[in-house]
Amino acid sequence: MKAFRALLRTESAVFFRDKATVFFTLLFPLVFILIFGFLMGDVDEPAATLGLYEAVPSDLALHDVLASSAADAIESFEDEASLRSAVVDREIDFGLIWNGETLGFLYHPNRVQENYAFEQIALGVTDAFNLRAQGLDPVLSTTTIHVGSEASTRWFNQMVPGIIAFSILSSGLFAVAGHLTAMKERRTLDRMIVTPMPRVALLCATATVRLIVVYVSTLITLFVSIAIFDLAFRIDWIAYTLLVGSATLGMMGLGTVIALVVRRASSAGSVANVLAILMMFLSGIYFPIELMPRFLRAFSKALPLTYLAEGMRYVTGVQDMSLLRFWMIVLAFLAIGLGLFPILARYIVRPQRR
Amino acid sequence: MNDVLLLARTHILTALRERVTLFWFLVFPVFLLVILSLIFGQIGQQGEITFDVSLVNFDGSTTSIFSGMIEGVFENLAQSDDAEDDPLFALRHAEADEDLDSFLAAELTAVRRGRRAAVIVIPEGFGHELEQQVVSSGSPGGSSSTEGPSLMVYYSEGNAASDMAVSIIKQVLAGVNREILARSGRFDQTVAIEASSTWVGSESGGTVYVDFLLPGIILMGFFTNSLFGIPGAILFSRDHRVLRRYWVTPLSVPRYLGGLSIGHLTLCAFQFGILLIVGRFGLGSTVSFASLSAVLHLLLAAATFMAFGFLIASLARTANAGMAVANILNMPMMFLSGLFFPITGLPMFIRAIVYVNPVSYLADGLRSSVGVESAVFPAALVIAVPLGWIALSTGIASWRLRWDVAR
Repeated sequence: MKAFRALLRTESAVFFRDKATVFFTLLFPLVFILIFGFLMGDVDEPAATLGLYEAVPSDLALHDVLASSAADAIESFEDEASLRSAVVDREIDFGLIWNGETLGFLYHPNRVQENYAFEQIALGVTDAFNLRAQGLDPVLSTTTIHVGSEASTRWFNQMVPGIIAFSILSSGLFAVAGHLTAMKERRTLDRMIVTPMPRVALLCATATVRLIVVYVSTLITLFVSIAIFDLAFRIDWIAYTLLVGSATLGMMGLGTVIALVVRRASSAGSVANVLAILMMFLSGIYFPIELMPRFLRAFSKALPLTYLAEGMRYVTGVQDMSLLRFWMIVLAFLAIGLGLFPILARYIVRPQRR
Repeated sequence: MNDVLLLARTHILTALRERVTLFWFLVFPVFLLVILSLIFGQIGQQGEITFDVSLVNFDGSTTSIFSGMIEGVFENLAQSDDAEDDPLFALRHAEADEDLDSFLAAELTAVRRGRRAAVIVIPEGFGHELEQQVVSSGSPGGSSSTEGPSLMVYYSEGNAASDMAVSIIKQVLAGVNREILARSGRFDQTVAIEASSTWVGSESGGTVYVDFLLPGIILMGFFTNSLFGIPGAILFSRDHRVLRRYWVTPLSVPRYLGGLSIGHLTLCAFQFGILLIVGRFGLGSTVSFASLSAVLHLLLAAATFMAFGFLIASLARTANAGMAVANILNMPMMFLSGLFFPITGLPMFIRAIVYVNPVSYLADGLRSSVGVESAVFPAALVIAVPLGWIALSTGIASWRLRWDVAR
């Protein structure tokens, strides 16, 4: 116990002295949150301003239809050229030319995130105007009902738990694949294991520091996203703590596998980094899995980060999940962590052959 | 000259032998190009995405044709004409002997859990109400403004797949509306107002996403290659005292820099070739870089990023610190430049970063030079800002960069 306490102090000091590690563990998730929050935070609710140029006398029915459409604002233009240049300069989101016979919609081709939403608005306007032009009303209507939780009504709500999941993944992986292998490479471990220090004390101290730091890091990310982007989460704190703890241990277990598989100790951190980045793109954090091609959808189901992100959405109240599935995720991470980390890490914490 | 070329060769071989460097230099840009094209290039395209949708028909036992008609429309969309294409919807129904209320409850739970994009419910009596609506709105004196019977669509707001499925379902039902009115003889399809779509702001017309993306990914490749490659080469050689060994030979610093630069630019050319081949032959990009303007923009980008690499090398005391600085700058500079997604509607302080970021101007210049986008920045700025960064980076690097480990 004395050795554990001493190692805990040392490991904490080592962690906080390494500015790069502190930055990447505590602050880097915030960089992601700020970049994506400002870049894509309102992607699900684009403020669509429609520019209108009427080449024929103004049509009241068209104005009625546009007023009740999903476009947030309608801006009138005197001529087609100024409408076109407003679309090109992105002063408006998309344009509409009414020449008395056809509705001509103008889009900027490079607004790849938003054009789909603008096209849907255009289709709605066309359908409604067609009926109004012939003096008709729709005979059937559609009522949409949101059945998820209140916390899930914005796309960015779904993304923040994913970013937190990624920060757990990278911190857990690097705890072993980065930190312990670096100690091994510098032969610090060789010196430590010739002392009476129990090997398991070192592993427990490393794991404890990482668990605390990761937990604090997730809280900072969560609260900053709430404060800056006005997000609402319904957090089940017990489930949250269980998931963050088990996932950190699980990822440390996976980091141990990387450290063992990669022969050169200095390469283990790089391989962990590569794997983390690949998983980040394929686990539905930034791009919904449903929008991926079929083969990538199947691949993403084999990635631990997919399940961790899913679990984080559940504990933050963004997405529902059965209790059985949640416990299976928690227990799977615990099994990986408790199974792999101590057993395999003992092989790492042993003298190197010269 | 031989020593310069030998150094260039050494730099290239070192980069290609190092698997991790090779990943960031080649595999990662190709991976990103493919994955972003596959995901964003097909949004809204039928045959590429399938939405898991359930349909619950509480009106199935009535004799009304309308409930069956609507069910039939969605069943058609759940089948694909081409075996290679995915159908638009993977449609689920209750089993013949299954209780509809229990089925609906289970499907709503599936929506909440993200396993179903939407659930369409045809309420009991819907067909009969719709018949009455069609008859009453068509008869003289009949009310045409009365709201018709409503189909319920349950979804999870904020879930991208769910939101998208709902907008498609609404469009399908708008089509059904028109079809019903047309069949009842009140909507005249022959005088229907047509809608057209025109893409403006691009010389080549409607730009496919891969054409927008490819110049951005090429610049990203150049950027990461320089950001990590140049400081890595200098700082690791310095830390491992390789540079010290060079300096006891007749090799001078300018000749060392010449060799490093030639090697680095050759790697950029190699990277450009691979990305162009993947983009053109693998993803169907049609963007052409065969113009003087495009080549000059590519060279300007490679030179700017290389100078930026020297700047990073001059700011870091050790190789590890250099890599950390590069890592910190990498993501913000890439994402806040419009390399992958157009950047609009940003707050002022973030926009300020975009305006000082040389990658923003290089991306804008390269895209306009290959004709996929009209330039957002004035032409003079597109050249002047990167040149300013080259001057600043070179100035600081020549002042601060140390060519040997501290004694």
